[in-house]
Amino acid sequence: MSSSHNRSSNNNNSEGAKAEQIIFEFFAKSLHIILESRTPFMSSRNFSGEQMMCSPSSSSSSSSSVRPRDKWFNLALRECPAALESFDIGRRSTLEPLVVDVVLVVRPLVGDQMNLSGNRELIRNFSGKEYQSSGWNSDQDELGCETKNEQIIERWVVQYDNRKIRESATTSSRRSSSNKLQVMYKKATLLLRSLFVMVRLLPAYKIFRELNSSGQIFKFKLVPRVPSIVEPFTRREEAEMQKFSFTPVETICGRLCLSILYRSLSDVSCEHSTPMSPTFITDYVGSPLADPLKRFPSLPLSYGSPPLLPFQRRHSWSFDRHKASPPSVSCSPSPTRSDSHALVSHPCSRNLPPQPSEMPTGRRKESYAEEYSPYQDFSPPPSPSAPIQAVSRGITRTESAPVRIPAPTFQTKQNIVAPSPHLKLSRHTSLKPVRDFGPGESGSAIDKLYLYGRDDFRKHSGMRLSSNSSPRISFSRSSSRSYQDDVDDPDFPCPFDVEYDDITDRSSRPGSFDHRGDIHEPLESSGSFPKKSQDAAVGALVRMLKKAPPLRQDVSESSIPEICWNNNKPARAQEIAVASITASGIALASKTTADAMEELRTYKEMKNHLLLSQSTSNPSSVTATSPFDA
Amino acid sequence: MNCEVCQLKELEVESFEIREVLRCILHTIVFHRALGLIRPKDIDLELFEITYVQCGEIEVEKKIDEKVDQFISWIEKHPNKKSQICLSFYEVKSKQPSWFTNKIERLYWEQWYINLNVLQPTKAPVGKSHHSKLVMDPGEASEERSSRRTLLEQSLQEVLFQIIKFVNEKKDHVPPINDGVIYCPFEITIPS
Repeated sequence: MSSSHNRSSNNNNSEGAKAEQIIFEFFAKSLHIILESRTPFMSSRNFSGEQMMCSPSSSSSSSSSVRPRDKWFNLALRECPAALESFDIGRRSTLEPLVVDVVLVVRPLVGDQMNLSGNRELIRNFSGKEYQSSGWNSDQDELGCETKNEQIIERWVVQYDNRKIRESATTSSRRSSSNKLQVMYKKATLLLRSLFVMVRLLPAYKIFRELNSSGQIFKFKLVPRVPSIVEPFTRREEAEMQKFSFTPVETICGRLCLSILYRSLSDVSCEHSTPMSPTFITDYVGSPLADPLKRFPSLPLSYGSPPLLPFQRRHSWSFDRHKASPPSVSCSPSPTRSDSHALVSHPCSRNLPPQPSEMPTGRRKESYAEEYSPYQDFSPPPSPSAPIQAVSRGITRTESAPVRIPAPTFQTKQNIVAPSPHLKLSRHTSLKPVRDFGPGESGSAIDKLYLYGRDDFRKHSGMRLSSNSSPRISFSRSSSRSYQDDVDDPDFPCPFDVEYDDITDRSSRPGSFDHRGDIHEPLESSGSFPKKSQDAAVGALVRMLKKAPPLRQDVSESSIPEICWNNNKPARAQEIAVASITASGIALASKTTADAMEELRTYKEMKNHLLLSQSTSNPSSVTATSPFDA
Repeated sequence: MNCEVCQLKELEVESFEIREVLRCILHTIVFHRALGLIRPKDIDLELFEITYVQCGEIEVEKKIDEKVDQFISWIEKHPNKKSQICLSFYEVKSKQPSWFTNKIERLYWEQWYINLNVLQPTKAPVGKSHHSKLVMDPGEASEERSSRRTLLEQSLQEVLFQIIKFVNEKKDHVPPINDGVIYCPFEITIPS
């Protein structure tokens, strides 16, 4: 009898231990579910609004990657370090209730009284009451300016009520205890399913999604907290909030309770939270006004995106010193997200030829944002006190302003050195076609594509120049209207007046021109290659070519017009020039041979003349035969 | 084991909204009855600002989509009708196989009734229907549609809350969790 009693007590102990473990894991899972849907991402945000990058896939496909804690209550959730940390630190006893406060923090700019009043309006709409009297806590710095306002919009309470310990019978049959555990586990599982759905139905979830899916800078943020000391709400605050209590789960020696107090957010939308009115940034970090030769640091990785190489290049405006041409495209303002975005998006715009305007700029920007989003590094979101202001929504949409564009496979013969045809060709490689270019924003679009091209040039520079030398002209003449515009633009003397990353060796470049002797010679003779970049070298070369006299002065039928750089020629004349240049190239070759033959004939006549004169003077002289005599 | 029945609040929907509304409700219910190891998927509705949860099982998704398509086809043939879709959960009880029969009996332990009132889009006044208006500006039509959409969104949220409450209040009738079973077997019945 004593043995059976011992067995029974042992069973009870084990059942009790199991129950306690279930309760402990229930707390952990609840916290995980709540924080997973209330903790904004630590790194860059998901702009497309799609499912988070780390969202778990179907269980059938990822059964092998099930973590031990996923098996608890058969609910595999995505990683939430905040939940684990909070629980490890905060949970010491299952008897302590677990409280999770979801706090809405509004951050006005320091000293910005207008924003403060705007925030008050936001908060008033949020709670329906004056913010000062509705549980809002505000911090003040030493200057007396309010720096942030906080309000608890949700309070989750998970607790274990063990009052039934004394009430329920301590001894029970083994079977019923086991059955009770199973029932308890099943009901806890069902409750957690409901919790998972509930957290997504409450108003705070909309804020969470908006903060995570949009790249805009909001005046508020969502901060879940697990306070060690819980300040109870006042009656007034509780009256303003709605309550929902899940049906408690009976356990062996108590019951699990879960409830939520939440505020309705019917008046709060993200439109109210759209940050500052758009302004143009002229002195963003890295602008020519700031530091022309500043080198870009490598940017941090974006959330979920593959690791990228650091992006380091000099600004194109560093070569402005060698040119007097003003920027042909107005520098468009930088996107909202960060300074570094602005740095990369717009430095080249000044030096790039204008593009034909076909579409509004904002839309083009959006297309670029979509194209480049998987590849880009994101800088950390700036603090609200950053000097950069938001720009138009169309521009702001490019939260994924391309900082780094990967270099896809490059086909040497297709890509052309000239920017605009190069851009068009670039589209066919790995980029989705950019539909239109706007005049204002064309610079940054071109920047992006040009950055794209530059990476390609980095890889294939030597070959590229040689392969592009001859087709360059014909291609540009025949295909690109935008290139035509480039040429016609008096402010843009040379299509090579763009930044070229100095990755190619100067020694390789002359060799690349060997196919075109006529170009090679000027290249060698020009001792004035700028030492700073190959771009300027090419530009100088082209300038020389422009000034160079025509190859043949006595070409009759197809007088070689000036090469395409003449800005004043109409399009038709340019095309004719192309044809004539091509024809004259052939004519040159033929005339060279003809000239040589003519010279030979001349020499022969001279020789014959000399011989005749010698024979008349000295009849005994032997006439030398020449293999050239006919 | 008794069969619990839940009648959900009636929703007024237009034909193009049926798919999203039905998928939202059906998946939410099935998710609550998928007690095996699952990796939930969040799905954002396109027409409403609601995120619902799927259990992540492809078979469930296929089955629901198939039934929704059948229902939409039926609605097209029977317009302007109130309809009811029944989602039933059952346990499989196999009877003693005999020489002649090898019946598998289904024991239903829960039924959900989704009530829909499918509205036809408002057209130019032709008949004597009191639903149509004699004069309708495009602006008024869009406003009316917008307000109706908002109401539907609120109603849909109420239905989802209704599901949560029902699931919470009644747990005893749910069969125990079986190893290897991801979701409780169910069937969807549409009007014929």
